[in-house]
Amino acid sequence: MKDNLEEIWYKPVKKIGMATLITAVIGSFGPLLYLYFTRGVYPPLDAALSAWALVAASFGAAYFVEPISYYAILGLAGTYVSFLSGNISNLRLPASAMAQEVLEVEEGSKKAEIIGTLGIIGSVITNLIGVTLAAFIGMRLIEVFPPIVVDAFRDYTAPAIFGAVFGQFTMKYPKLAPFGIGIPLILLGVFDAPLWLVILGAVFGTILVARVFYQKGLIE
Amino acid sequence: MEEVLQVANEFGVWILAGLVVSIALVQAILYYKLSFKAGEELGIPKEDCKAAFKTGVITSIGPSFAVFVIMVGLMSVIGGPMAWMRLAVIGSAPAELTAAQIGANAYNADFGGAGYDLTAMSVGWWTMAINGAGWLLFVGFFAHKLEKLRDKVAGGDKKWLAVLSGGAMLGVFGYLNAGSVLALGGEVVAVVVGAVAMIVLLKISEHYSVLKEYSLGLAMLVGMFAAVLLG
Repeated sequence: MKDNLEEIWYKPVKKIGMATLITAVIGSFGPLLYLYFTRGVYPPLDAALSAWALVAASFGAAYFVEPISYYAILGLAGTYVSFLSGNISNLRLPASAMAQEVLEVEEGSKKAEIIGTLGIIGSVITNLIGVTLAAFIGMRLIEVFPPIVVDAFRDYTAPAIFGAVFGQFTMKYPKLAPFGIGIPLILLGVFDAPLWLVILGAVFGTILVARVFYQKGLIE
Repeated sequence: MEEVLQVANEFGVWILAGLVVSIALVQAILYYKLSFKAGEELGIPKEDCKAAFKTGVITSIGPSFAVFVIMVGLMSVIGGPMAWMRLAVIGSAPAELTAAQIGANAYNADFGGAGYDLTAMSVGWWTMAINGAGWLLFVGFFAHKLEKLRDKVAGGDKKWLAVLSGGAMLGVFGYLNAGSVLALGGEVVAVVVGAVAMIVLLKISEHYSVLKEYSLGLAMLVGMFAAVLLG
């Protein structure tokens, strides 16, 4: 049965993932070609290179650190979907975690991977509807909502949902929760460590503590 | 700025952005079908697959509204089509704004201010595209290698794999919360109240299971409005 899953899941997942992500890379340069062909405008080489170096310095570590850190949670298809659609921490991870919670599947199992992926796909659909509405009628629609609602969503959605997901997993692994929040707090607050180090330390530090606790039979 | 934004909102740019947005839609549809097939193989009932999808749709309504609000802001600086494309694919608003800004600065222009002409905008577009490509190319070429890495770390112990996923989740969200906790004010209220509300809602939904799929959305709302009131 496992080999079967390889054929009907992993192989096509990989094929679709590679094809869509690489097409998206090519497509995202499309608007630049438009500027060139209609206006004759293009980025000067020196500015293009120095801008590239600057963003790579700011985000370069995240290109590798984020996919590696999230992989254990997202799985293969979930990783392809999440990194194509972005908004991973505020949309994809919560959707995956809630789908698994509602269907009560065993975390880390193959079933959990399929259920989590479907949750993520659901979040992609909602998000696509949201951004498409914003693109076409956003300016008019936003005036309908009172400013306090708009401000609340802009400022506090991320921390509220991050807190809520942390609460969800604190219930499951109460002994691990203090390490999950403690490690990044110390790295960030005491040592002022760079963000890539904070995320790696938080994820793999907590996994290491989980390993020790698991081997000692403190968690199951 | 006016003239630059006019070009950024031209019909041709909408079409090209729409093509990229549709890649995300096509991918979602293909994986949706594939998930049902794999689910059948694993003995997951169709209703469960649908319920998982529905939970994802519901859970993301709140955060998608936040993306909506942020995107309307982004549209006024980088134009409608680019905001649409960047937030439907790869993007997050802060990363895109930073990239657009770095691009303009590399051309010695103030983003949206002095010297911000079409060429400055083109450097911004280039920077957003090349930055997004970093994640897409790494994941596109190496994600399947990570699968092997996970298998190795887990070593076939299913129970440990579950604990490992839980530990990873607490680590990721601990990291995401740490910044807010240190920022104090409304943000820390949102984190703490959001977490407590979620625990309470999940406890209640042990008895009223219909509540479960709404719990994350509700906890988020409670956390947000506590932050507005107390922050």
